[in-house]
Amino acid sequence: MGSHGVHHARAVASAGLETSLRTFRELLRRLWGTFRRNPTDRDLEEELEFHLDLVREAGQHQGGTPEEARRAARLHAGGVAQAMEALRDQRGLPRLDDLSRDVRYAIRTLRRSPSFTITVVLTLALGIGANTAMFSAIDAILLRPLPFPDGDRLMRLRQIQERTAETYIAPVRLEDWQRLNVAFDAITGYFMEDVSETSGELPQSVRRAFVGPRFLEVWRIRPAVGRGFTDAEHTTGGPAAVLISDRYWRVRFGADPNVLGRLIRIGTASFPVIGVMPASFLFPDRDVDLWFPSAVDNTFAQSRQATWYAGIGRLKRGVTLPQARANMEAVQARLAEQYPETDAKLRVDLTPLKETTVAGIRRSLWLLFGGVSLLLLITCTNVAGLLLTRTAHRHQEISVRIALGGSPLAIAGQMFVEVLVLSVVGASMGLLFAAWATAALRAAAAGLPRIDEVTIDGRILLYTLVSAVLVALFCGTLPALRSGRADVTAALSDGKRTQVSARTSLQWLLVGAQVALSVMLLAGAGLLLRSFQQLSRVDAGFSVNRMLSFRISGNFGETANYDRLIARIDGTIDALQALPGVDAVATAGFLPGLPVQFESAFALVEATSETEQRMVAESRPVSPEYFDTMQIPLKQGTPCRRQPRGAAEVMVNSSFVTRYLAARSSPTGLHLISGNTNPRPSVITGVVGDAREAGLDRQPVPTVYSCMSAPNPTPYFLLRTHGEPQALAQTVRLKIKEREPLRSVYDVAPLEQRIDGAFAQNRLRTVLLVAFALAALSLACVGVYGTLSHVVSLRRREVGLRLALGAARSGVVRHFLLQAVRVVGVACLAGLALSFAFARLLAGMLYGVSAADPFVLVTIVAIVMAVATLASLVPASRAAFVEPMQVLREG
Amino acid sequence: MDRRVQHRPSLASFLIFDIQIETQYSIGMPNKGPAKADVLQGTLDLMVLQTLATLGPLHGYAIAARLEHVSTGAIQLNMGTLYPALMRLEQRGLLRGEWRVTDNNRRARFYHITAVGRRQLVTEKAEWDRMVSIMHALLRAQG
Repeated sequence: MGSHGVHHARAVASAGLETSLRTFRELLRRLWGTFRRNPTDRDLEEELEFHLDLVREAGQHQGGTPEEARRAARLHAGGVAQAMEALRDQRGLPRLDDLSRDVRYAIRTLRRSPSFTITVVLTLALGIGANTAMFSAIDAILLRPLPFPDGDRLMRLRQIQERTAETYIAPVRLEDWQRLNVAFDAITGYFMEDVSETSGELPQSVRRAFVGPRFLEVWRIRPAVGRGFTDAEHTTGGPAAVLISDRYWRVRFGADPNVLGRLIRIGTASFPVIGVMPASFLFPDRDVDLWFPSAVDNTFAQSRQATWYAGIGRLKRGVTLPQARANMEAVQARLAEQYPETDAKLRVDLTPLKETTVAGIRRSLWLLFGGVSLLLLITCTNVAGLLLTRTAHRHQEISVRIALGGSPLAIAGQMFVEVLVLSVVGASMGLLFAAWATAALRAAAAGLPRIDEVTIDGRILLYTLVSAVLVALFCGTLPALRSGRADVTAALSDGKRTQVSARTSLQWLLVGAQVALSVMLLAGAGLLLRSFQQLSRVDAGFSVNRMLSFRISGNFGETANYDRLIARIDGTIDALQALPGVDAVATAGFLPGLPVQFESAFALVEATSETEQRMVAESRPVSPEYFDTMQIPLKQGTPCRRQPRGAAEVMVNSSFVTRYLAARSSPTGLHLISGNTNPRPSVITGVVGDAREAGLDRQPVPTVYSCMSAPNPTPYFLLRTHGEPQALAQTVRLKIKEREPLRSVYDVAPLEQRIDGAFAQNRLRTVLLVAFALAALSLACVGVYGTLSHVVSLRRREVGLRLALGAARSGVVRHFLLQAVRVVGVACLAGLALSFAFARLLAGMLYGVSAADPFVLVTIVAIVMAVATLASLVPASRAAFVEPMQVLREG
Repeated sequence: MDRRVQHRPSLASFLIFDIQIETQYSIGMPNKGPAKADVLQGTLDLMVLQTLATLGPLHGYAIAARLEHVSTGAIQLNMGTLYPALMRLEQRGLLRGEWRVTDNNRRARFYHITAVGRRQLVTEKAEWDRMVSIMHALLRAQG
């Protein structure tokens, strides 16, 4: 039995495989059969006829009465139709057949009413396309991991001092972290500076990044051409090397295939190109074109107080973020024990790199996505209304079909297929629109993080497809249900007469929903718009117009001789001051008006209270000419002066005095110590007025201005000009070239433009939301127009009767107008209620405007009512042109 | 003549459009005596394949006639049963049909069994025998 059993089992297994193959073959044949009717109906009928003939002949031969023969033949003949049906079912795949038949019928029907079809398709294209475009932005920026292998393991390491102040990391500490931790595959750091590349005809400004060892290891990116850095290149005096970006390779070297070994010149040194990075590598900054290996063994890199690096690391597989955080805490605690003076007050912060990259725009993006989804909802509601109207007009056709035996379910199903066809076509057009929209977004919002990664790809296509199906479900259910329930007798008994009772309450409900949602969108957009307007009216506290800002290239090496650096900068300021058209010149470490915060803790040397020992304020390095240039008024004391690196003078602003030094009679003459950089006390020489240097949308903060003209080799230069700031740019360049031919002037822009640029995200958000809101309003008005037209046409006979009985035309028009206005009015109230409910979503994005600002809301309601009334006027007045005699004659 | 249709789970039912596979044909005998014989689809396949294997190429009527003859009238296949089954077998590759001219100079579709069909026939016969012997043993055991 054993071997027989095995044999049997094997036979059964292979039989199972055979059966599957047979079934698969059958499936293929039947699939083919749905598209090509093979064998044809004629062949099948011929075969059956042949069979019938033989049955008849057999019947005749058997004898039996002609009656019996004829009855038998008849019975068999009846079988032909049924046999054909069974054969057709076997030939194709019945479900698929039904679907394809429905689709073909739907296409035919839609072709017969082109204006309806085009309207619906365009509307759906707009709604689905906008939604898809927004989703592709959200997907690329927020949902997908960074475009590196295992991108979600990349972490940003920050060194936090005194609880809040982030400082750059000393190279030795970074190496300690790398050595002592167990959570990371590799940790590295980088810093960036803008320098002059002088191997070409003119000095070119270029941004370079100095990167620590293991840089490419952290990213797990290999250069597209060439190689990464060796350890030898990360040492002082080691071989020179530079990696260039793909863009730099194309622009500067014309995509030369033999670029390896060609030289880059920075200052007096030359560096051979050892590799080209891939085009997609845009870190640490999308403007970085050169990467240099940073030498960690030189003398000034050994200080634990050096502030060089921004830190990044790659987590080991399997290590979670809390584990890594705990590990780094332990590591830093060890270092604190070992080096108490420098490391005790530091702690390490770990944040996923993607988080730090996109956190700023997350809320804006989701807000916009919410807006565009509302728009889609309004679009669907609009289309549902259109479909309902159309179904009402087709009720005769449907009644006839039901009377002839069609099943209501089949008819409803077929209506649904019509909607599905519309939806799929609309979605395809929407995809085209979305492709265009994402390209436009990439161009218009070039500053947004990760914007270059936004594309239309497989995931987005899937999303579009699913949207199309959901839209079809939403729009099509109501009309499909309605169509199945047509009143047969009423329709068939009287061809011409239309329904007297206009069952349009559902359509009015849909219109009301559209208006309510539009009001909601409009309220949001209106609030953002007004907030933006308020922002533009803010008094900055410093001069914004007629200010030109720029930088002059320098390099980190200049910090070796600070006196020479200060002399250079001061000399440049003087030279520029002498130019015609220039009113004043100054330098600053940070640009005013842009949100860059650098907080420090200060202590008063003459402190008598707790607060005076720990005063947290913004620390801004500026040259003494700053306050005059920026026209920030001097409130007390005297302005600080130019000085050698020895004595240090500072100015404080009014907020600082109000917050910390209110008890003192006069703050001038007091001494401050800052924990961070300068251990020597600085003397306060005077108090200046408040300026919103941290951003126009923020309250002025206590600020300490350190008077130094050269906080780093490349400070921002600020020029107050007599005329147009941009006009002076060329003059400035020429002057600098005259003084220092090896340095380039870059990052030139009027200050106004920069501050505007800081609000680019804000502006984009507002503009887009306003666009969505206006689109929504248009759709809602079209909905009002359409529904009222429909109502008027339904009630023509009634209107004719009324007019014949003596009603005034104006009264009729007013009646219809009021009907529409009533619905819109109620919908506005509902929309307002919704706005209140969702007002929280806008918190933090509004400036100078509360979420329930009455001015904005009243304006919105007024606009909506006005536009809706206008939209209702046309169909309502059409009612006035009904000829009572003609209507009555139509009977 | 009535027809009961049931779904039988198969490979096809995992696909979006499931194929209605008729698993039960009732072969009605209108105006003839007692019970209609319900025959499983599998056995119809077996009968057709065996007939063609034994007698060579036949057209549909001939197959029905042969089966009626062999069963002495118990099995009368109507067109709606036979021809879909023949189409199905052809789709599965067990038969092939071609148009030919009969002796009476009429055009008819003749079916012949393929090599694959022969293999399937062997398998089905073995399976049928096995089933019969199991049922036999079972029924006898209870008796």
